Amino acid sequence: MSREVTIVIDGREVSAHEGEMLHDAAKRGDVEIPVFCYEPKLGDPVGACRMCLVEIEGIPKLQTSCSTPVRDGMVVHTRTDQVKSAQNAVVEFLLVNHPLDCPVCDKGGECPLQDISMGWGPGKSRVIDEKRHFEKPLPLSPLVAIDRERCILCYRCVRFSQEVSEDAQLQLLERGDRTYVGTFDDRPYISPFHGNITDLCPVGALTNYTYRFRARPWDIEQAGSVCTLCPSQCNVSFTVRDEQVKRVLARDNPDVDDGWLCDRGRYGFSMFSASERIDGPRLKGGAATDWETAIARAADGLKAAGAASAALVGDASNEEGYLVQRVMREAVGSPNVDSLTSVFGPRRETFLRLADPGLSARVRDIDQADLILVLGTDPLHSSPIVDLRIRKAMRRNGARLAVATDRPTALDGGAVAATRYEPGGAADFLEELSKALEADADNQASAIAEAARGAERVVIVWGEQLVQPKASAVDQLVVISDHLKLGEQEGSGLLEVPVTANSRGLREAGCLPDAGPGLSEAEPGRTTWTLPAAIERGEVTSLVLFGVDPLRDFPKTEKWRAALAAVDHLVVFSTFENATTAMADVVFPLETHAEKDGTVTHPDGRLQRVRPSASRPGDIRPNWGVLAELSLALGHDTGVDSQPSAFAALCEAVPFYAGLTDAEIGGRGVRWQEREAASALPTPPANEAPVVAELMKVSGEPPEGPFQLGTYRDLWAGPITELNPALRFLAPQQRVEISVADAERLGVKTGDKATVAQNGTSLQARVAVRERMQDGVCFLIGGTAENNANSLADAWPVATRVDIAKVEGS
Amino acid sequence: MPETRVLLKHAEDPELRTLAGYRGYGGYETLERAYRTMEADEVLKELEDSGLRGRGGAGFSMGKKASFLPRGDMQKYLCCNADESEPGAFKDRELMMRNPHQLIEGIAIAALAADATLAFIFIRGEYDLVADILDTAVAEAYEAGYLGKDILGSRRDLELVVHRGAGAYICGEETALLDSLEGKRGNPRLKPPFPAVQGLYGGPTLINNVETLSNVPRIVARGAEWFRGFGTEQSPGTKVVSVSGCVRRPGNYEVELGVPIRELIYDLAGGPLEGREVKAFYPGGSSSPVLTPADLDLPYSFEAMAEARSMLGSGSIIVADDSISIPHMALRTAQFYHHESCGKCTPCREGTNWTVKMLERVVRGEGTPMDLDIIASVQENIIGHCLCVLGDAMAMPVGAMVRKFREEFEQAIAAAGEAPRPIAAVQGAPETMGASA
Repeated sequence: MSREVTIVIDGREVSAHEGEMLHDAAKRGDVEIPVFCYEPKLGDPVGACRMCLVEIEGIPKLQTSCSTPVRDGMVVHTRTDQVKSAQNAVVEFLLVNHPLDCPVCDKGGECPLQDISMGWGPGKSRVIDEKRHFEKPLPLSPLVAIDRERCILCYRCVRFSQEVSEDAQLQLLERGDRTYVGTFDDRPYISPFHGNITDLCPVGALTNYTYRFRARPWDIEQAGSVCTLCPSQCNVSFTVRDEQVKRVLARDNPDVDDGWLCDRGRYGFSMFSASERIDGPRLKGGAATDWETAIARAADGLKAAGAASAALVGDASNEEGYLVQRVMREAVGSPNVDSLTSVFGPRRETFLRLADPGLSARVRDIDQADLILVLGTDPLHSSPIVDLRIRKAMRRNGARLAVATDRPTALDGGAVAATRYEPGGAADFLEELSKALEADADNQASAIAEAARGAERVVIVWGEQLVQPKASAVDQLVVISDHLKLGEQEGSGLLEVPVTANSRGLREAGCLPDAGPGLSEAEPGRTTWTLPAAIERGEVTSLVLFGVDPLRDFPKTEKWRAALAAVDHLVVFSTFENATTAMADVVFPLETHAEKDGTVTHPDGRLQRVRPSASRPGDIRPNWGVLAELSLALGHDTGVDSQPSAFAALCEAVPFYAGLTDAEIGGRGVRWQEREAASALPTPPANEAPVVAELMKVSGEPPEGPFQLGTYRDLWAGPITELNPALRFLAPQQRVEISVADAERLGVKTGDKATVAQNGTSLQARVAVRERMQDGVCFLIGGTAENNANSLADAWPVATRVDIAKVEGS
Repeated sequence: MPETRVLLKHAEDPELRTLAGYRGYGGYETLERAYRTMEADEVLKELEDSGLRGRGGAGFSMGKKASFLPRGDMQKYLCCNADESEPGAFKDRELMMRNPHQLIEGIAIAALAADATLAFIFIRGEYDLVADILDTAVAEAYEAGYLGKDILGSRRDLELVVHRGAGAYICGEETALLDSLEGKRGNPRLKPPFPAVQGLYGGPTLINNVETLSNVPRIVARGAEWFRGFGTEQSPGTKVVSVSGCVRRPGNYEVELGVPIRELIYDLAGGPLEGREVKAFYPGGSSSPVLTPADLDLPYSFEAMAEARSMLGSGSIIVADDSISIPHMALRTAQFYHHESCGKCTPCREGTNWTVKMLERVVRGEGTPMDLDIIASVQENIIGHCLCVLGDAMAMPVGAMVRKFREEFEQAIAAAGEAPRPIAAVQGAPETMGASA
């Protein structure tokens, strides 16, 4: 930590960190210095707008406070005549070419240029000359409009594109006062993070098509919450008008999102009011019903099945997960609860080992890491904001990156080592890696091990998919962590990228087949992946799906379809109508993260609060209440009668959450590992064989086929693009990725139509030839509306083998 | 008054530009001595003691600048700024055309002092012929072992690359030059960090003008004392001065710093045309505040020019005689800087644009009585508020013209409403200003 120094600003003493920028020190000392171009999130200051000029004693010329590091004893003036005249001058200059169309400008009322003009400008204009003209507004992308006349050329958006998202698509064209922001050849700016430029723009030059002319600042309220569309759990602020979400803004939290949002989180909100939204309880066939009937019907089925009931939890808050497992374990009397969508997931003892606070990395540890090791995940698709965070560490801090995955990742380009293993080969690869780290073994993991040598602060970002098909992968992860001394080094640790947004919270709330709340021991239940067979055998007759859509998200689609049809009683909690809800006996509506009140747990252990910001459409009720009533209908009183009581019950049941309050979570969240109650984490049992091992056996011979199939969840696959009109253009069409050599062998090129087939099942895809792919391996997207790869993955978790054939004439 | 030819010595000999011709006059002897027998610090000390001031415009001590480079094993660079783009300046062109090896020898010796092993000559793209001459000379120097690996067995290396600019005035600004050289948009960088600490590709970089570096061989050969024998206490040495505009014999003249300006304009350049009188002149390129005939007897030195609230700059005198309309001259000056402003910082981008619009109105006969005060105030608002000095480069001369020739502007404004004059038909604007050299 840098030294504390004292500086004097406008006659008052302000304490500052030596070397920090004067503007930041002044801000903490409650002195506002106006800025346009300065934004620390964008990296080094550029000193372009000249708005923040201040007088520093001993320096004759005015200095830009955004780029002047503080020194002890510095005496600064921000309100002298000289400074005021410079501020007036810069505002006047900015307005030379800025149209005064504030009454029709979307930014009006929340515009830094307006505010600064009022606060620091001359108050009157001396300009009578014509301003510059551009055609406007033009689509910079299908989501963002650009009005170049309003642009004050602060370069924030260009710097974002070049230095944060690193897509380098935005450029300054022309020069001088003819300069304008654009892209090469006027191509649309398409990047998963590009919506951030609308937050950055200090004028009305960059606006969202989804928000233009929808509201004025005096019509709206800002409501802070957390986005639960992926495990990044970015902090957001919902712009709400008439109780409906109109816009999503980033709510800076350096411990979580660093102040950025991906476009998924930013533009995904319009699906909240999609016509597919389920807005009240329904019975088989989609008939609307009243809550009493629906709850009674659900309770009857569960009661009849008793221990032959099972529940799967996916998109849910901690409280919801906690209540689901209570309903199952206490009211129904069934041990069958699971929240893992990865196969053969590690179980209680492994989670206990991984939960060791010493082994767990914080998101911000990535910033200071010497080495970032990405294992089995492509953060761009699975947790986009982590992708930005890793890039930042490399760009600003010189962190080294090593990547080991089955599929090429967006991070490969900057990695010192990027190694591929076969789909399903993670456990074997990790074993090799652990050997290579232990002794200088020459194997496929050598390059990664070499990259790790000498690194002190190491953050391993690992994907939950790593554990398929062998749970031993996670054991290897712990061994590797020991080799790299992650537990001993401050700032080192493991950071998981789970499949679902609140995976960690659900595990800790007790949604595991062999662990109750707080990873306590529980009577072993069935895992997700044994359910279809158990249903087929008639051992499970009643199924509750809470925020889970097996027909889209799970492999073995046909087996699941058969299972859902075979089960006597199917209760589905879902936000939207889908193929699964169509088969349900009872459907309960779910709240979105704009409507829900509850907590979630970030993969790094940070509990965050999702706050209700918008009204629930139709007849939707809070889900804690629905679950509590369901339990009552089953004859068991959970004692939960409000969201606070649900949260209190959760914190009582999870020993390492003990004593948590809403106030402690606040707006920024709190990591449970950093609280005293963390010591209540149970000790992992020593070397105990997984209790559920018996249930993991795979039967049958692996199918034949020249290509080994891997699947991945594309950032844009799923309802996010299908139900959001604004994002529909991003909906991925199925594509089959193959290596350059395989493409040559098959005589296909990128864009060709191909059939991917296995055992008589087939789907259509466009060929995508990719560098850095292994030969003999192909990848398809899981979760698309059509040609879903999951429908092929019949032998899964055993690697599926497929055949690829070019569709002639394509 | 005769010239004092040091840098331009033997310049009349067309063979001087060849390696053989240059060596015939003792060329590269200093490089040989320096690389064989001298330590970096000795060379550096000689340069510091000489008091040689940068000839590119800012006039900063060259030796001091070189001494700012950190010591250590990191890659260091030397950049020769040959992007001579200031209207009125054309002395570097002549120095490079006539005596390219003098510059190469200077670069090699300066690189020794700065411990740089990779050097660039960033030459303005329009100097195509000159760049060809440099290419030939650099090839000869490599051939002779004055550049490349293990120069003259000294175990010191120096690679020298001639890089042609793409035609932007701003790339003569040292940090924009670095960005351009790195392949980026040529925009000035924020200083600090100064290039000496963090320059090209983030490494310590010494950047000097052509004329500055051309001085180096003789300073090291004959010593700082010898150099200080020329010029004044604070402006030692000789200076190649480009004199242009309304004079009979425009051209480059090498004189000792400190000679009276009158001698430069009247004796060497032949004074104004028959029947004309000097009305105003830029003493140091188009970015220097104009001076009037009252200043003609000032000594031509860095300090005297600064005292007269102008500057010596790159040493380029542009003379305007009494046929020239000052408002037109102001407009033409402003147009140049408006066209060349990179647009990165607000005061320069908008200030140059606004000034041009107002001056256009004044010249067109559509000015308003407010305009003059606003023009003056806008120049004040630019000066000292920009990221680099380009904005000041317009604001200083335009401000000075409004201050010193206010009556002329007032007349133009008073005549507003009379038949407007098209801007294209600007009469008497010095021809040299737009298409410098």
